[in-house]
Formats: sequence, C-alpha cells, structure tokens
Amino acid sequence: MKRSVKCTKTLAAVLAAAMLLALTACGSKEDGQAPSEGTVSSLTEQDSGEQSAAEDSAEDAAKEEDGSVTVTDMMGRTVTLEEPATRVVALTPSDCEILYAIGAGDTLVGRGTYCDYPADVLEVPEVDSGSETNMEQILALEPQVLLMSTMSQTEEQAKQLEDAGVHVVISDAQDIDGVYTAIEMIGTLMGKDEEAAAVIDGMKASFAEIEEKSTGDGSQTVYFEVSPLEYGLWAAGSNTFMDEVADMMGLTNCFADLDGWASVSEEQVLERNPDYIVTITMYYGEGPLPEEEIMARPGWENVTAVKNKAILNLQNNELSRPAPRLAEGAKMLFDFVYGATE
Amino acid sequence: MKSHRERFSAPEYLFFAALTVAVLCLCVCIGSVNIPLGETLSVFWDALSSFVQKFLFHKPADFPEGTVSSILLTVRLPRVLCVALSGAALSLAGAAMQGLLKNPLADGSTLGVSSGAALGAVIAIAFGITFPSLPFAGTMVMAVIFAFLSLLILLALAEKLDRSLSTGTIILIGVIYSMFVSSLMSIVITFAQDRVRHITFWTMGSLQGRGYADAAVLLGALVLFGGIILFHARELNAFAVGEENARHIGVNVRRVKLTLLIAVSGLIGICVSIGGVIGFVGLVTPHMLRMLTGPNHRRLLPASLFGGACFLMLADLVARILLNPRELNIGIVTSLAGAVVFVFIFYRTRRGSGC
Repeated sequence: MKRSVKCTKTLAAVLAAAMLLALTACGSKEDGQAPSEGTVSSLTEQDSGEQSAAEDSAEDAAKEEDGSVTVTDMMGRTVTLEEPATRVVALTPSDCEILYAIGAGDTLVGRGTYCDYPADVLEVPEVDSGSETNMEQILALEPQVLLMSTMSQTEEQAKQLEDAGVHVVISDAQDIDGVYTAIEMIGTLMGKDEEAAAVIDGMKASFAEIEEKSTGDGSQTVYFEVSPLEYGLWAAGSNTFMDEVADMMGLTNCFADLDGWASVSEEQVLERNPDYIVTITMYYGEGPLPEEEIMARPGWENVTAVKNKAILNLQNNELSRPAPRLAEGAKMLFDFVYGATE
Repeated sequence: MKSHRERFSAPEYLFFAALTVAVLCLCVCIGSVNIPLGETLSVFWDALSSFVQKFLFHKPADFPEGTVSSILLTVRLPRVLCVALSGAALSLAGAAMQGLLKNPLADGSTLGVSSGAALGAVIAIAFGITFPSLPFAGTMVMAVIFAFLSLLILLALAEKLDRSLSTGTIILIGVIYSMFVSSLMSIVITFAQDRVRHITFWTMGSLQGRGYADAAVLLGALVLFGGIILFHARELNAFAVGEENARHIGVNVRRVKLTLLIAVSGLIGICVSIGGVIGFVGLVTPHMLRMLTGPNHRRLLPASLFGGACFLMLADLVARILLNPRELNIGIVTSLAGAVVFVFIFYRTRRGSGC
C-alpha cells in the first residue's frame, strides 16, 4: 500500500522534473537508474537478512528518464536531486570511505575532521565535524549534498542547511546490513549504482567465504579492546561490528553481555580469560607496540591470549567504521585466527 | 600549655588506623570479579609467606600464580593502595588549603588547582617534556609546577580584588580560573590527540591500571609533602585566627605560607599526574572530620589523612562495582557526593554558623 502511494508521488515528481528539463533542454545522463524504491524497500526489509539489497534495487529500478535521483536516507527522510550529486561534503569517515570505494571520491569538496582513509581524502578541504560542526564552513563549500550521521548534528542544524539549499542525507549504519544500505544509498545519490552493487557484492563474497571457511564453534573467546589500559579499558560488546564479525567466524565476544562500547573493569578481562585479543589502539611510533604493551601488563600473563601471543592490532579502524573495509578487517581477523589462506 | 584535647591521642591514631586497614581489606575483598573470601585470604597468605621466605630467609619461593592471584595481587591491591594514598594526600592538601585561606570551601578542585596541575601534565605529555632515565618525572614535575603557579595566581588575584579574602571572592576566582584552565587544556588536547589521554581521564580521574610503582611514588610524596603539612599544624592554627595574630606569636608568615603552598602543590600535582583530577575529596573529608575533631589542625590533619584514604577507597569501590562489569570514573562518584556536601557547607556558612 505504502509503496504504491510513494510510487504515484514519485511519478508526479518525475513528470514535473521531466517537463522542467525538457523546457531547459538539459541533456540527461543515461545511467540515471535512480532506484528510489529499491532503497526504500531495502530499508524496510533489511531485517530479513536474506534479501539482497542490491538485487532489490535492480528489480525495482524505475528508470527515471530525466536523470533525477531520489533516495530515502537512513532516518527515513526522502531526498530528491535533479541529477546525481557532483559536490558533496561528508562529515563521517565511513561515508568518505564509501564514496571512494564506489569511485566517487572526486566529488568530495569537504570532509569531516576525522576522515583519514584513503590517503587521498586528506587533500580534501577539512571542515569541523562532531560537536564542533560549523554550518558556515559547510555552506562556504557550496555542496549539493551533506552526508552525515545522526550522532553529530541536531535536527535544527539539518533544517538550517536544507533552508540554504543543501540536501542533507543521513547515513547511519548500525550493523553490516546497514552498511550495505548506506553504500547503496550513496551509490544512488552519486549515480553510481553499479559500482555500489559491486562493492556490496564484494563484501558479501568476503563475508560468505569467511563464514564458510571458519571452523569455530563459539567455544573460543575474543576480547575487542577499543581503549587501552592507560586510557581506561573499553571493550566492544554486542551490537557492534566487531561482535558481528566474531560471530561470523564462530568466535564468542567475551563481553557480549554489554551493549555497544563500554568501559570495563580490568579484573573482568582477566577473569573472562579471552583466547584472542584484538586491539584497535593506534600506534604513533613511540613506546611499545600496542600488542607488546598488552603482553607487558602486570597480571595479564595468565590470560590465554597473552600466553599464546594471540593479540592482533587492527589500527586503521578496519572493524570500527561502517564502511567497505569491514570486509578487510574481517579477513585480517580470520587470517589471524585460522591462519592465512592465501 | 598544650591541653590533652589539642592533640591527636594515641588511641585515636589507633582507631583511625584500624578503620583504614578495615576499609582497605573490604576494598581488596570486594571487586568486579567475585572471589570467595577464603580464596582471597589464601592467596594473600601464600603471597605473604613466600615473600617472607624469599626476603627474610633468602629461600627460593614461588609467588602464587593463576588468574585469581593476578587479579588480587597485580590488579586490585595496587589500585586500592594508590586510591588510599591519593585520598589521604588530596584530603590533607584540602585541609591545609582551607586553613591557609581561611576558607571552608577551598579545595584543589573547587579552586582550579587540580585543573592547573592537569594542564601542566597534559602540556608535558603533548610537548614531550621528559627527563631522561625518569620517563614519568616530566609529567609530575610539570603538574606540580602548574599547581603551584595556579595557587600563586589565585592568591594574587584574590589579594588584588578583595583584601579580606572572603569566601565568595576566592570561590568565584577559583571557578573562573578552572574554566580558563579547562579550555586551555581542551586546546592542548585537540592539538595532541594522538599522545594525550582522553579528556575524561583528566577531568574525571581514574586509577585503573595503576601499579605498585605508582603507589610507591604516592607514598613518597605523602611522606615528604604530607610530613611538611603535618609539621606546620600549629602555624595553620595561627593562620586560622588571622595572619596578624600569626605574626605576633612569632610565625614567619611569608616563609610558612610559601612552604605550605609548595607542599600542597606537590601533593595535588603528583596525585593528578597519576590519577587525573578527582574532585571534592579535599573538601568532603576534612569537613566531615571537623565535626568529629573540631577545627584544631593538630587533630584535623591526621584525621584527614586517614579519613581521606577511607573516603576515596569507598568511592573507588562504588566506581568499580556499581555498574559491574562496567566501570565508572572515580571522579563521578566523588563529585556526586562532593557537590551535595559543598551545598551543605555553603548553606551553613551563609547562615553564619561557620564550621
């Protein structure tokens, strides 16, 4: 029901836009696949994990001949652009990574403070992000679209930008399926549906391979350290990408009883005695390596992972960002646990 | 000359020491991981006996091994010791500042001295100020220096603005100064995010992961600077009546003031460099104890020493087990308790009953 209503609305919008375009005699792009419905359905149906979001979009793709694109962002807001975006500001590192992964990195005209991958993104002008988000900086870059997460901005700020003619698109993946949705949505927005589908397929293939080859039965435990002892221990609990990846390869996250990232007691880590430790501490070239620091901690010598030197440092946010590199991170963890396959 | 009640008597010492040891035992026995009391005792007995064997009789002996003894001996005990020593140091520093400034609301955290020390530590880390051979000394020295400078700035400002050093003025200056220093700290942390610990460590404090070496440093600081403060209890009493009065009875006001300021800075600086800013400890304990001991510093200071240790150990216990297996920052607990006490004291002072 809902979908048919939406369809009529979209059709009306398309017709109106087509007439406008015809008047101005603007050449429209051929690849304007604009699978607006695909995005909507993948959003509503993302719970049924079986359904491939990418296939979905191919089926439903109501080709909009004027080249306009419509996406439903991850807060359920509908955004329509007359043509795929060519000037984008992305505030979160993951959105920047997705843009580069689908070959749309050259459309970035501004990036948030913490966007650091791939290296090319550092050439893009930086804008303050997070709690210091500066509307003036963003407007000065004259983007068509601002990609951001729900964490950093308020609705008032979004409204402000919309009023100034910048389309605000929210990308807010909470799990791997959510990442697929985000990639697909950004693909549509940029007129790069095929590239996005390829990225998603690549990720799915990697995860499927890992799942198939993993022999774990959940008896071995892994502890994901997101903040080292010196800064106060924080672990990744359930509902995190790390937890999802551990699950995929038959490992049990030893802090699965906590939700999200949580500060944990050092005693608990010793008591839970993980078989593997994954730390995402960055190494800045000073002092001991993060793995060495963990092995040198007094009292940790009885932890199985320390005894076996089974500590992996993923220091480039492979498993902490909702981006295509999750597949790489998962592969690194898989190789670490089950030995390199290639 | 000295009436009996003026001093902290031996039985009182004994009582407070016993209380502190009891709290310490409690905090070592209870923790995030639930270890049966019998097992805890046996681990400590084994550790003690092998320690005696090894160092008194020079016989080879193995310390107990295994997860339980790791948790007790290398994680929980050193942490509780650090907490106890920090509590004692901060509380003593607070009591001394209250006497020196004749201000019941004075404390390292309310006046921004702790924030100043944290700024010093953050600068030392961000700019890599270290002494070769002593990797952590740079942070500590900078923290102490900045705590001292903060005190001097506060006193100078207070003197300029309000010669009578009224309660309100000093606290107001302290609040302004804290905010100023906190924003400076945020700036430094923004520019050196890769080196400096997360801001919550510096603003809320944590003694997670502290070891015996840290405990030894704290003990050293407490013996040295704490000793200086305890030694000046009589002068603090004289200051409490008034600087003029102190001068009349033959106290070298300038010298004593300077000595005490250095001692207070030393205690606060070293505590902050090890455990971050833990607020309100120096405010809460001396006040609670003043009700018990009276305002005489010869009784108040030793009581603060033990009382501070007990208070902070209990606060840390709450931080450790309240949301188990999660952990809270210790400063959250002390600030919660402290804010309530602060309002209470302020209310009482305003009503003129004093403390």
